[in-house]
Amino acid sequence: MKRNSLANVASACALCRASDLSAATLYWNAAHSAMKTHAIPLLLFCLLSRTAFGGPDAGFKPLFNGKDLSGWTMLPGKPPAFSVAEGVIETRPRGGSDLFTTGRFGNFVLRFEYLLSDVGNSGVLIRCDPNDPWRTGVEVQLLAPWTPHRDDLHCTASLYGIVAVTNRPDETTGIWHQMEIACDRKAITVSVDGKLATAANADQAAGLKDKLLSGAIGFQSNHSKEGEFARFRKVEVKDLDAEPAYVQAGFFDADARVRTQAREAAAALGAAMVGPLAGLMGGSDVAARTGARQALFDIAAAASAPQAPAEGRRAVARAFESALRVKPPEPTANYLEWLLGMVEH
Amino acid sequence: MCQTVRRRGFLKGAGAALAGLPFLSTSMAKAAPSERIRVAHIGCGGMGNQHIRWFSDFPDVETVALCDVDSDRLAGSLKRLTERKPAAKPEAYADFRRILDRKDIDVVTCATPDHWHALVAISAFASGKDVYGEKPLSYSLREGQRMETEMLRHKAVFQLGTQIHAGDNYHRVAEIIRSGALGKIRTVRLWKAGGTKGLGFPPAEKPPAALDWNLWLGPAPYAEYTPVRCHGSFRSFFDYSGGVFADFWCHIADVLFMSLAPARLTSVDARGEVPSDGIADTPKWIDADFAFDGLDVHWTTTPPKVPGAEAMSIGAHFEGANGTLTCDYEHRTIRIGKEAVSDLPDVPVTLPRSPGHQRNFLDAVKSRGLPESNLPYARKMTLPMHLALASFRLKRKLAWDSVKEEVVGDPAANYLLARNSRKPFDW
Repeated sequence: MKRNSLANVASACALCRASDLSAATLYWNAAHSAMKTHAIPLLLFCLLSRTAFGGPDAGFKPLFNGKDLSGWTMLPGKPPAFSVAEGVIETRPRGGSDLFTTGRFGNFVLRFEYLLSDVGNSGVLIRCDPNDPWRTGVEVQLLAPWTPHRDDLHCTASLYGIVAVTNRPDETTGIWHQMEIACDRKAITVSVDGKLATAANADQAAGLKDKLLSGAIGFQSNHSKEGEFARFRKVEVKDLDAEPAYVQAGFFDADARVRTQAREAAAALGAAMVGPLAGLMGGSDVAARTGARQALFDIAAAASAPQAPAEGRRAVARAFESALRVKPPEPTANYLEWLLGMVEH
Repeated sequence: MCQTVRRRGFLKGAGAALAGLPFLSTSMAKAAPSERIRVAHIGCGGMGNQHIRWFSDFPDVETVALCDVDSDRLAGSLKRLTERKPAAKPEAYADFRRILDRKDIDVVTCATPDHWHALVAISAFASGKDVYGEKPLSYSLREGQRMETEMLRHKAVFQLGTQIHAGDNYHRVAEIIRSGALGKIRTVRLWKAGGTKGLGFPPAEKPPAALDWNLWLGPAPYAEYTPVRCHGSFRSFFDYSGGVFADFWCHIADVLFMSLAPARLTSVDARGEVPSDGIADTPKWIDADFAFDGLDVHWTTTPPKVPGAEAMSIGAHFEGANGTLTCDYEHRTIRIGKEAVSDLPDVPVTLPRSPGHQRNFLDAVKSRGLPESNLPYARKMTLPMHLALASFRLKRKLAWDSVKEEVVGDPAANYLLARNSRKPFDW
């Protein structure tokens, strides 16, 4: 199977909202047996399993609890510009601090609802370092239509100043709209009210080339005039890097940064990735084999840390044992046994 | 056996017992057979060829055997040697164990890849031979311990091939640091600019007919052959070495250990990255902090931000209470206040200079004394390198018990300090 087709399969898997681990494991098993020749049946399987394993909400987790800003942070140095009332986050004071998640997200689908005042001006920051968000990350614009600088490169749903909208969304102020932002490795798409507005790819957009592939998600403070505001609610995210099948496909990417991201995601997933990675090590793609080997080491290393929870260590040890039971090729088996020795030592 | 001059021969011959024997009157250019050291060279790569050239130029050395698992390299080295020294008649071997079987060889030099260093040396000691071994000392920390034990047990002589040690510069730096002219040294910064390259993703190949790939791998895990895993770039892989860091650590840590003999290491904390653009898995960059008793040592992959460091691709910077000293292999700058000088003439010359690193070893072979880069010294100097690599791989700080020589409270880290050798190379 070609690197790209496997990536496509995984993207399809991601888009079809496979969410829970058992479903992901099934994906993996299917992918493993189908790896060599059966790309299309696998793709179909993934698409069909959308109905089998979860609807459009599967895998989404709230980023906003509706009550306070737990899990979010505003950098010190500027007055706080965000507050919470009745299940809604509002930014009103002008020139205050932007709001960022404390967690970091690489590949994800973010969705939320927003409402802008008459000349409201805000934005969503993705994959950014909060200390330098506009240089490191990308702003998805949220802007009332009757303000200056409202061309397709700077209007709502544009990647502000980098990629223009191709299908301009409804910009009516004073009503709630839904936005969905999907970061799928080097592809970024923005949809508003269920319609695709912007599709970008870092390989085609020069302005995306040097952006981080992982970082915080943020909301920009109101920087329209005094008295304007933006509101957010129902903020939720689906972390694609929590899905082993999705992470596994990243090991085949032609871009070293994407492979590194997949390797780090795999290390963070731990035991759930041991089987898939052991499979990759026996495959024919040298880059994927190399990444898998490193990720397996990192999983064993983290599980063996003195302060690592005993249960996590046992889970990783069991995962290595079951990967060995399927009789991988000898070099892989030797490597797994050596790592198992490190975990059990 | 009758024509051989083995180590025990030197021991006995040190006195006047041999003085009356007729062959002592041979020409000045060539040492008497009784004084001649019979040397075999194991490993005929770039460094091995240097060994062959260096040692064969000594009038009291006879080059009697060359060995390499690659018959093309072996033939090349043999040809170069006999062109330079037509009188040399070395035997050629693919398997170094056949050299160790011979009773007429006094010394082996070892320029194999790192993962063979300990086994070659330990086997050579057991067969009654002295060893001039390339750096780094060993692949694993535990192998280094075993080398020292076996060397002492067999009363062998070992010199680590850190030839920069023999130069005047390191001796002078050590004199200046030890003189106290810079005050108490609390911080030392070591660096080597640049790290391991990725090497791309080449497919596996059939090993060349001239290469015994299984023997090249030896105790390392079995791996399919691809040229970059082997000659010239094997240090890029943790299966065989520890990257550019392991290649250069001992050359520059040497000046630190010569000058300050740091002791009671308590912790090592390393961080860095592996390459993402190839099969190499050793550090693209590694920075490490070492806490010794009263001394902090920092290793970086970029020169530290201190005056003069930028111009040195490898270096050491000593920070004393009264001044600093920055050096590389051949240069040094001392800064006291605003003044920068290359020497402090008031500091007396107290350390005897080396006659040359290989000569120093050969003299020790004859005298049965300790050469300048002897094994206990080399092991102390190499030990922090192994711990830094373990810390890098595990992504965590390691606490070290310098008496028990164990990582404290981290069994997995101790696990990484030993090699799990592939059979049948696990002797």
